[in-house]
Amino acid sequence: MNTATTSSPPSQSSDPILTVRDLFRQFGGIKAADGVNLEVGRCEIAGLIGPNGSGKSTLFSLVAGTVKPDSGQIRFDGREIAGMNAHRIARLGLARTFQIPAMFDNMTVTENLLAAAAQGHWHGAKDRAAETLSLLKLDQVAQNRASDLSGGQQKLLEFGRVVMRQASLILLDEVTAGVHPNIRKIILDAIARLRERGISFFIIEHDMEMVRNVCDRIIVMDAGRVVTSGAFEDIVRDSEVMQTYLGRPQ
Amino acid sequence: MKSHWADLIILVVVVVVLALLPVLVNNYWLRIATGALMWAGLACSWNMLGGYAGYINFGQSAFFGLGAYTTALLMGDPINLPFFATIPAGIAVTAICAIIIGAPTLRLRGAYFAIATWAFAEALTQFANVMDFTGGIGGLNLPPFLNERFFYFTMSGAAVLTYLVTWALFEHSRFGLKVKALRDHEPAAEAMGINTSLVKLQTFVLSAVTAAVFGAIFAYWVTFINPKSVFGGDITDQMVVMVLLGGLGSLRGPAIGGIGLFVVSRLIWMRWGDTAFYIAILGAAIVLVVLFLPNGIAGLFARRPAKSVTVLDKAAGKLAGTGEGGRN
Repeated sequence: MNTATTSSPPSQSSDPILTVRDLFRQFGGIKAADGVNLEVGRCEIAGLIGPNGSGKSTLFSLVAGTVKPDSGQIRFDGREIAGMNAHRIARLGLARTFQIPAMFDNMTVTENLLAAAAQGHWHGAKDRAAETLSLLKLDQVAQNRASDLSGGQQKLLEFGRVVMRQASLILLDEVTAGVHPNIRKIILDAIARLRERGISFFIIEHDMEMVRNVCDRIIVMDAGRVVTSGAFEDIVRDSEVMQTYLGRPQ
Repeated sequence: MKSHWADLIILVVVVVVLALLPVLVNNYWLRIATGALMWAGLACSWNMLGGYAGYINFGQSAFFGLGAYTTALLMGDPINLPFFATIPAGIAVTAICAIIIGAPTLRLRGAYFAIATWAFAEALTQFANVMDFTGGIGGLNLPPFLNERFFYFTMSGAAVLTYLVTWALFEHSRFGLKVKALRDHEPAAEAMGINTSLVKLQTFVLSAVTAAVFGAIFAYWVTFINPKSVFGGDITDQMVVMVLLGGLGSLRGPAIGGIGLFVVSRLIWMRWGDTAFYIAILGAAIVLVVLFLPNGIAGLFARRPAKSVTVLDKAAGKLAGTGEGGRN
């Protein structure tokens, strides 16, 4: 198994958009983050994989400010953000989705998108909402309440909200889990387009096919630590990783 | 965002009816209309925080009473301010109290805010009961001004202004989107860059000062107040039932609930001479709303009423501390 430090592609490692150093967070006796070290490069799509309970979603919550770290540093776009409130981090240009779609249930689909732009990105928000509805093929349900959407549509809508944020780094927590292949394709196409615009992605995903096709680099977590990272091909060649974390001996 | 035109047409019709009412009815019915408008405005004030932000305030009567007592004290000897000069003072006193109560408790998840507002109203009642300058249990008298039309138009103006503020701020502005977003999913609203603690506090202060304005008009209108008549818990109870019956988190619901329930209470009083039956109706209304009308009367006419998740669900979740945040 490799060491816990990550290695980014050379073009991105010099100026990462996100750097996490020695991050610790404990819930009772459980070490959800046990000295996490990693980097996400600019314009990179980094995948985060690992078994359930390995601390992936907690790491996202720590980076996004939803959960405060016990200690450690988180540097986003040149600024230290560890312990900062979630809304302040969001205003710096970091957007996230949640593992379970976090809908504004009693608002319409359009209102959900506009709410995402209500703080700081209001200029042209209505036009951008219309573009996003079209991009994600949600036009037909634009006036429906978010709570009345299917599970897949809710995933799309939540993705649409982070698009509306005009963020420089987007954290996606299992954004394609359990969705119809058509919806998955819409999301993947949108990720590719947004990356072309210079947006970086950090993606938690269990679907190895998606990880292989989308991510530039994979970071593997277990028991609150980063255990290895690298290109997908390198990761799958690591038989110990595959057996321990993915359950598929190679 | 909903259609502006439908709302504006309804508002114009309401304003025309309100303007014509004094020439169509006698002073008795004008007095009932004045009371109905006051309750519609109070229900709208409670709905700002309870309906749009999902935070249940069990002490809204405290702010109604603060407005009433501020006016009563400033209009009495030795200050003798004119009525309209007392309203800004009532607003200032109420805003300060709302900030003191709301700033620490609105940051917390669960029932802390609801308990704090209830306790604040109870504390103010006891304070007014024992202090000399508030007149104790005996209360305070205000200079009488027996002009029913003055109070009708003043109350109408306050009610229409409250409705317009609600329409503009909560239904057609970025602020309203932020408030509704934090009601439906607070962590997600924070992740969208919304400072939820600040937005909640702003909403709470607006809700409180609105109630204070109605308290000020009420005090001058009835010319006598005591702790029970303006701080009493039954005042908040009625606001809550009016909003639930009319439609929690809707624009028109609280006005419908406020006017409807108040008129029913007056009709019962006219027929039977007491209001015990009215209290029974309030209880039945709560049960019926929770069981069959989670979106209230306004929900019956909504184009797409909430089905799977209602505003009532969100408010109940926040009160129980089980809200949306626990899922992630």
